[in-house]
Amino acid sequence: MREADEGMAMPPGPNDASRREFLAQVGLGACALTIAGAALTVLDFMEPKVLFEPPTEFKAGNIQDFPEGTVRFDEEHRAYIIGGQGGVFALSAVCTHLGCITRYHADEGAIACPCHGSRFDVDGNVVHGPAPRALPWIEVKADAEGNLMVDTSVVIPHGKVLKV
Amino acid sequence: MSTPMPPLDLLESNDPVAMPKRVALVRPDARATLRRTEERWVMTFPNLILREAIVFQIVVIALSLAALLFNAPLEGIANPLETPNPSKAPWYFLGLQELLHYFPPVVAGVVFPGLVVVALVVIPYAKVNLSARPLWSGDKQQTRLWSGSAIVLLSVLFAVFNCWPIVIPTLLVGAAMFSVSGDGQGGHFRQFLQKVTLPEWIMTWFILVATVLTLIGTFFRGPGWSLVWPWNMYPHA
Amino acid sequence: MNGTPFPRIGLWVRESALYRSIVRHGAADTNRNRSLVIFENLFLHMHPVKVREKTLKFTHTYWLGAVTISAMFVLIATGILLMFYYHPSVPQAYRDMKELKFVVDNGVFYRNLHRWGAHLMVLGALLHMVRVFYHRAYRPPRQFNWVVGVVLLLVTLLLSYTGYLLPWDQLAFWGVSVGTNMAKEAPILGPPIRFLLLGGNIVSENALLRFYVLHCVLLPVALLGFLGVHIWRVRKDGGVQGPPEPPADPEVEP
Repeated sequence: MREADEGMAMPPGPNDASRREFLAQVGLGACALTIAGAALTVLDFMEPKVLFEPPTEFKAGNIQDFPEGTVRFDEEHRAYIIGGQGGVFALSAVCTHLGCITRYHADEGAIACPCHGSRFDVDGNVVHGPAPRALPWIEVKADAEGNLMVDTSVVIPHGKVLKV
Repeated sequence: MSTPMPPLDLLESNDPVAMPKRVALVRPDARATLRRTEERWVMTFPNLILREAIVFQIVVIALSLAALLFNAPLEGIANPLETPNPSKAPWYFLGLQELLHYFPPVVAGVVFPGLVVVALVVIPYAKVNLSARPLWSGDKQQTRLWSGSAIVLLSVLFAVFNCWPIVIPTLLVGAAMFSVSGDGQGGHFRQFLQKVTLPEWIMTWFILVATVLTLIGTFFRGPGWSLVWPWNMYPHA
Repeated sequence: MNGTPFPRIGLWVRESALYRSIVRHGAADTNRNRSLVIFENLFLHMHPVKVREKTLKFTHTYWLGAVTISAMFVLIATGILLMFYYHPSVPQAYRDMKELKFVVDNGVFYRNLHRWGAHLMVLGALLHMVRVFYHRAYRPPRQFNWVVGVVLLLVTLLLSYTGYLLPWDQLAFWGVSVGTNMAKEAPILGPPIRFLLLGGNIVSENALLRFYVLHCVLLPVALLGFLGVHIWRVRKDGGVQGPPEPPADPEVEP
């Protein structure tokens, strides 16, 4: 009805078709904008801003506690603090394969993952198994008294031992 | 006085051979052929609905019995610091977990499942098996060549990764494929194998591999993902 | 008409204005009324009024789709029951499992039913897919319905997987940890998807709540939507497709 009325009042001009096309495009564009805006805001909404996860930095005792050959497994922070040649270093205990917590087997002198059978030596290198990478070395710092701070979120190059 | 026409008998039948319904014009140069027999139709209610209700009842009874006889597992409360040994995914992911033992995570966890999903989606569009042509119906020499090399290639590829649970089913399916490559006649089973098409061989291979991997992961993997007998899976500490 | 009171009550109900307003067809004693049972019922309307007799044979479909859907109905019913006692938080989720086990009447039974029903639904969907493949029932015009079926299988697996975390026991925690670490290995998109899915870097309380919402709202709604399309298309494509038939005989001896 309305279209007919309009047609009566104003005969269809050459611009009619392009005007309709334009309006249709404006409508479609508005829909696309709304969808894109909704998608972005929802994605942003879904991203947690505050994480209640255990702190990555922790105290690990004194450097004197780690003579060469000691391996201490810090269960709470998923890390090994190891007394190596001429100093101390720390390894992440999270398997590089699929994130299971590895275990140190003192009798074999090896670190093993219970999930898929990866094995590492005490330097973190892969001995065998499906793990694609060595266990990362994580940062160890010592203050003037030799108290150690370990940060599991900071990965340092392999072999960078904290000298005594 | 003409005699009255005898009353017509209306005969009903679903068998078009015995009781043709449509009269067709048959040209002298063609033979009358029957394309398709007419199908029998029945009322959905009660025929289908009641059967569906029976299936539902059987499922409910079977599940209730299972629920009464077997308890759902419940272990200790989740502890992010202590990984149980062995630690297993649900059974339908154990094939995948078994693959993770042999391949890098990106291959076993992303590439293989992705390929499977893509292959499944592609099946109806790639005109897979439309003509249902048996594998050995064409040029046998050529089929022998490419299917043989495909089997050898796959076996070698998986053998490089020491993935014997895939190599052995591959060779078994290959052996079954080649057992009917000749012309000889045989029993029912042989005749059945001769009709199997290439996509069916591939699907059978896939199902066999998936089943073997899932069974190994479920029943034969113990602490440290080592091979154990099912009764030794959880050793007493 | 009858001596016993029950048929009379049944008759009285059937003739009441209220019942006639809800159920618009009479007793299914004639083919007309039997067709009305289907026509006049929203849920049965997924079916045509008549079906081919051969599709009712056991070996035509092995009723695998029906088994899967039956398991789904059991899961919806028991899942709603379990929701009445479940809090998606740490450590209350695990305590609720203990409560279901030791305190709630029939709690063990309904939890067991939900768990075994989930296994049956996954198994049924897998076998259904295998059956459809070997029967070549994905051929035109059913191509898209096969794809919908693949989506349904994936949604079913996701439902089962998200449900796996909810008891918050060791099995759940490490099963999900290992599974989500697989996603991390996917190039580029893997780590952010995992972060969004878990609501953090590790499986934590955020992950439990997110999996709960996925398991109880988002995925069931998706499943029912795709299932509606799936069943509707089965009907539109001429009913269930059984084993491939031999090609129409070129010549039939009379």
